[in-house]
Amino acid sequence: MKAVAVTGVHFTYDDGTEALSGIDFQVEEGEFVAVLGSNGSGKTTLIALLVGLIKAKSGRIEIGGREIGSLTAEELYQRVGLVFQNPNDQLFAATVEEDVAFGPRNLNLPEEEVQLRVRSALTAVAALPLRGRAIHHLSFGEQKRVSLAGVLAMRPAVLILDEPTAGLDPAGEAQMMQLLKKLNREEGMTVILATHSVDMLPLFANRIYVLDRGRVLQQGPSEEIFCHQEMIDRAKLRLPYVSRLMYEMKRHDGVPIDGLPLTIGEARAQLLELIPKEMILPGIEEIGP
Amino acid sequence: MFDLFSDIFTYRDNALTRIDPRAKVVIALAALIALLTAERVILPLFVFGICLGTVAALRIPAKLVAVRLAAPLSIVAVLVVIQTFFTGTTPLFTITLAGWPLTAKAEGLRQGVFLGGRVLGSVSVVFLLGVVTPAHRIFQALRWFRISRNWLEIAILMYRYIFVLMDRVADLAAAQRLRLGYTARGRAMKSFTALAGSTIIHSLEQAKRTHDAMRLRGYRGTMPFGPLPELGRRDRMITALCLIGILSARLLEWGITG
Repeated sequence: MKAVAVTGVHFTYDDGTEALSGIDFQVEEGEFVAVLGSNGSGKTTLIALLVGLIKAKSGRIEIGGREIGSLTAEELYQRVGLVFQNPNDQLFAATVEEDVAFGPRNLNLPEEEVQLRVRSALTAVAALPLRGRAIHHLSFGEQKRVSLAGVLAMRPAVLILDEPTAGLDPAGEAQMMQLLKKLNREEGMTVILATHSVDMLPLFANRIYVLDRGRVLQQGPSEEIFCHQEMIDRAKLRLPYVSRLMYEMKRHDGVPIDGLPLTIGEARAQLLELIPKEMILPGIEEIGP
Repeated sequence: MFDLFSDIFTYRDNALTRIDPRAKVVIALAALIALLTAERVILPLFVFGICLGTVAALRIPAKLVAVRLAAPLSIVAVLVVIQTFFTGTTPLFTITLAGWPLTAKAEGLRQGVFLGGRVLGSVSVVFLLGVVTPAHRIFQALRWFRISRNWLEIAILMYRYIFVLMDRVADLAAAQRLRLGYTARGRAMKSFTALAGSTIIHSLEQAKRTHDAMRLRGYRGTMPFGPLPELGRRDRMITALCLIGILSARLLEWGITG
């Protein structure tokens, strides 16, 4: 069953800017899908449509098999949750606990259930020790995780994230992506990620949609997407750094690389095949500290 | 500048931070009523002394105390001057200001000191409450007093976004300063006006985004609040003892005045 189905959606802002021009976008239940695009490509508009913050001028949007307009706010926000790019937009209560409990309390759940959801959401994002802390005393990375917990406490079937790694340091970025992978693989949550950061996507995303000026340029698994260098350039994006290195070695130095590795693991395997065995020191890891 | 809003001391563990905020709010309200109904300056100054002594014992930096008390102290100074020179009949001394003779009067000075004492006493009570209770716990306590949920909701959002906006203002002001925006009076005025305008616009945009985020988590016009725990025996005892103390002080003062 489709978790999200968008068909022929157009959206134009009041100032005449056409943000989306006949978008088709489908996500299966349990998928991890990335929406990739440069600034102004229409990612944020698409997200705002999916959560009902704005209404499409034409076309059809279905969430969990039901047309978005036929869902009440309560139904919609238990099916789809949005994590904003800037956690300050989303964390409005004074403490972590009150903020995470905000959604469940709005669902009029019994207080025991609210507390259960708060605990489980904070545990899922490794933020349980922050429970009693004031929001303005949290670091940016902690704020990001708490804002995710606030959405998880609503138990949505589809989790949408707008640039979840923006502003995070490399460790925070990896932690956030691992967290999303866990939610997707272990909890079966459908994840839709809007981003222009390409390096980690091949590791996590099942499929990628590339948006440019309100249109879908291409969609498919990462190996299909990143082999179209021209399309990537047209979308004002780039290859993952490791792929770029291999691409340059293949193109300019004639290194016989098969396909285009997208991850460090794939690149390492290919390079090991090319390096003569006698040049490789056995047990090199044992030499280091 | 931002020390003014710092709440890090409220998260320290001490005898006062451990008291239930409802008890502290009741005690603070009783103290404020006693101060507002005081008939002599001695009770307000006594309360002021106790509060400042407690703040010192809690090792709150003197700079923070000075910053927070600066505004009320200025009000007190203006109050004393106005009362001294414009009320009463018994002359104390005369000064000439820009050719105008101004005569200080004994009754005015007494009245000014009395009103100033009330202001200082009241402000020090609120200040002490503020350094031993985090704002969100005061809001929780206010819910117990059946304060309108809408008012509390606005207060909570204001409290939360003060810090966000302050960060924003600090960044903008630094950016202006780095481009010599405050090097001359006229330029400083222009920069400050731009800063104020930008902050207003930013706060409106922030309000829109926050409202969107609230809607996405089921907000329908009223912020939900969790249940409040029962007031403990120890806290009830502390409240009772403090109320007796305040009442006794007030009655004692009444006896002296009477």
